Amino acid sequence: MIRNFSKLKISSVFLTLLISAPAIIIFLYLFIGSSENWQHLKETLLFEYVFNSLYIMIGVALLTSIIGFTTAYLTSLYTFSASKFFHYGLILPFAIPTYIMAFIYGGMFDITGSVTTFVLDLLDKNLNEVIFFDIMSIEGAIIIMSLVLYPYVYLICKTYLSFESASIIDASKTFNLSSWQILRKVILPISRPAIVAGVTLAVMEAVADFGVMDYFGVSTFVTGIFRAWFGMGSVEDAAKLASILMTFVFILIVLERIQRRNKVYKSSGKDFRPIDKVRLKGYKNVLAFIACFLPFFFGFLLPFIQLCFWFAVSYEEIIDEDFLTLLYQTLTLALGSAFIITALALLFVYNVRINKDKSSSILTQVVKMGYSIPGAVVAVGILSFFAILDRYVIDLFSSTYIISGTLIAIIFGYCVRFLAIAINNFEAGFSKIPTSYDDAAKIFNIGDFKTFIKVFLPLLKNSAFAAFIVIFIEVIKELPLTMILRPFNYDTLAVRALELTQQAQIVESSVPSMFIIVIGIISVILLAKNMNKA
Amino acid sequence: MIKKLALSAVVLASSLYASSEVNVYSHRHYDTDKKLFKMFEEKTGIKVNVVKAKASALIKRMESEGAKSPADVLITVDAGRLFQAKQKDLLQSINSNYLTTNIPSTYRDKDNKWFALTKRARVAVYRIGSGMESKLSTYEDLADPKFKGQIMVRSSNNIYNQSLMAAMIAHNGEEFAKKWAEGVVANMAKKPKGNDRYQVKAVANGIGSVAIANTYYIGKMVNNKDESQRESVKKVKIFFPKFKNGGTHINVSGAGVAKYAPNKENAVKFIEFMASKDAQELFAKGNYEYPVLAGVKSSDLVSSWGQFKDDTISINTLGENNKAAVKIFDQAGWK
Repeated sequence: MIRNFSKLKISSVFLTLLISAPAIIIFLYLFIGSSENWQHLKETLLFEYVFNSLYIMIGVALLTSIIGFTTAYLTSLYTFSASKFFHYGLILPFAIPTYIMAFIYGGMFDITGSVTTFVLDLLDKNLNEVIFFDIMSIEGAIIIMSLVLYPYVYLICKTYLSFESASIIDASKTFNLSSWQILRKVILPISRPAIVAGVTLAVMEAVADFGVMDYFGVSTFVTGIFRAWFGMGSVEDAAKLASILMTFVFILIVLERIQRRNKVYKSSGKDFRPIDKVRLKGYKNVLAFIACFLPFFFGFLLPFIQLCFWFAVSYEEIIDEDFLTLLYQTLTLALGSAFIITALALLFVYNVRINKDKSSSILTQVVKMGYSIPGAVVAVGILSFFAILDRYVIDLFSSTYIISGTLIAIIFGYCVRFLAIAINNFEAGFSKIPTSYDDAAKIFNIGDFKTFIKVFLPLLKNSAFAAFIVIFIEVIKELPLTMILRPFNYDTLAVRALELTQQAQIVESSVPSMFIIVIGIISVILLAKNMNKA
Repeated sequence: MIKKLALSAVVLASSLYASSEVNVYSHRHYDTDKKLFKMFEEKTGIKVNVVKAKASALIKRMESEGAKSPADVLITVDAGRLFQAKQKDLLQSINSNYLTTNIPSTYRDKDNKWFALTKRARVAVYRIGSGMESKLSTYEDLADPKFKGQIMVRSSNNIYNQSLMAAMIAHNGEEFAKKWAEGVVANMAKKPKGNDRYQVKAVANGIGSVAIANTYYIGKMVNNKDESQRESVKKVKIFFPKFKNGGTHINVSGAGVAKYAPNKENAVKFIEFMASKDAQELFAKGNYEYPVLAGVKSSDLVSSWGQFKDDTISINTLGENNKAAVKIFDQAGWK
């Protein structure tokens, strides 16, 4: 047992070092950036970057928690018109990459958008005569990000509720509480860790976004990072901004941990049974339907319809032999990466569970940081890291071989970026397994490895599957890191979609986008099925 | 799994070093280029391997790959990045009679470390009937209050704006350039957002009257599957502004041979091919760019926009001034 203990611990320490190396390299730039540029930045834009990034974080946190929790609560505890459908339907926006969403929404709602001009024609007015909400603004960006990201909150809350609530609701009913009181006094407080876990992911992703912010003309930390890098040719200043952003997010992660620790309601795990869903009638039925329909409609259906129209007129031209190759490359890359990342995440979380010490849990949090760093910046860290490896390690074996530009480089990049998601999934899963199981295993003197295989793995099957699918979708949508680190002649669906939009071929870009979304939908349905089984 | 991946990576890596290949790092993301690479492969039997990403990222990648970098050729969409790559000592001089005799000296590096392949003009696009035709004259004049609330232009994060500003600095000095930027900001119809096409669409639909955009976007809008772009572009016309003491602002897309190119000969052949008549014609027809090779005609559509005189500022200077340009944008509040 001691042997296993050390093996597990050593491998997590080693992996943490490996995976956080790019982030650490970025962080070191904090001390070497040129002071002249930095002074300029402080005088001109730094305040705006901080303000806008905070505004986006708060906005996305509010919107995703409201949408995500409300829909999870309604579909977990009640049945109403189309509630079975919404069970799946509400996850679907997750399948749409944010930048594609921004382009589609821009195309419909901006000053010359199809919907805008249609409405103006209808009213027979021009733009200056009406109150117009410009989607291409910071508020617009918050809405777009929230529409795509609320499924994080929805998914985590839903899994949590379906596990926790039945017995608690029964208990609260014996106190004669109304359903409103149960929601406010019982369900909302116990769901808080789940809401916060989901919101943290959503906020981290929103704050690391470049595509939407750049297109909508919003200056954030991340657009600033690229401005310093591309515009002033200063990787140092870019990295300096990135490390400030990382510090920001690390604080966020720590806060999330602290609140989770204080608020964990440990499941007794004994009397799990499904919730008896209450059937809603009359106006309550209508309200519940609307509450679920709106996010589904704006987050998925509307952009999807637009894409379908574009797809119909351009698929013949875009789908050729090269396209099939890139489809194959995208799928194999995503499957392989999802598998590796899920396995690694399991190792980290299991280490925390077994060793129950501070250091293990800190390791896990350090590894999570990568998710908040914009993909392109992770890529810079990785390139610098590989430069060191290539020069001092690989050189001992081969004078020509380099890691840069191989599939290893790219998959390593995904690990840095996406381990957080998989770990968050497993943490939720593990917390549902009562610690008495560990104790029982210890009493019977079953080794850690055996305990893992016999006890935990079967119980974690669902979390593992969910983590796998979510990572799979993320990799398929991923853009900047893939572009910078990829091998020669290696295209993915996301890269192709971006290329086409950059050539002004928005209509044609619907073809790769459609494939991304359809793959996403299939994955999401599998995910929802899995949730049902749970 | 990891073993398998490692193996495939090794196979992939070793295939990179086969002899009849050329490895290209390119910022150009146009489908025309795919056709060009195929043409080159058919003509020479040399296989073209490509990685496409933003030039700054590719430069960083070359830098960290160092002497083992597989890159043979770096292609960018602006002179500034070629200048950066040269400064970081990532490019090498090449000896090519064809290139030095056929590409005008203003459009290549003085040490022959890079060569321009195509030109793009940054112009004013105005709405027909807005009365702007008679008002438009120089780039400097765009800061004049007579354009108040009329100008649509994208964010200064964009490289095309950065090199326009770099040229403004070269012509008139930093002090003037800053005042100019403040003037343009005061004249903006909207806070900068969207891309060049967005600005043109806005102007066509009555938001502001003058958009600043690159010419080839207009070509792409004319032949577009998106109806709103086709409709918008019908309502606008191109005006070629000049600098007071120069011509119309030109930026280039160009290429250089990597310092550690494992296939240097192929790399030279590749760039020579890109500057050949066949390739230049395809650039012009397929992507609405202006060819650098004398004697190659622009496409009919592009010619119909009219003639203009190239600005005289050396392309190198644009690269040198790029950083100063970004700072001036920041100070002037040009988002």
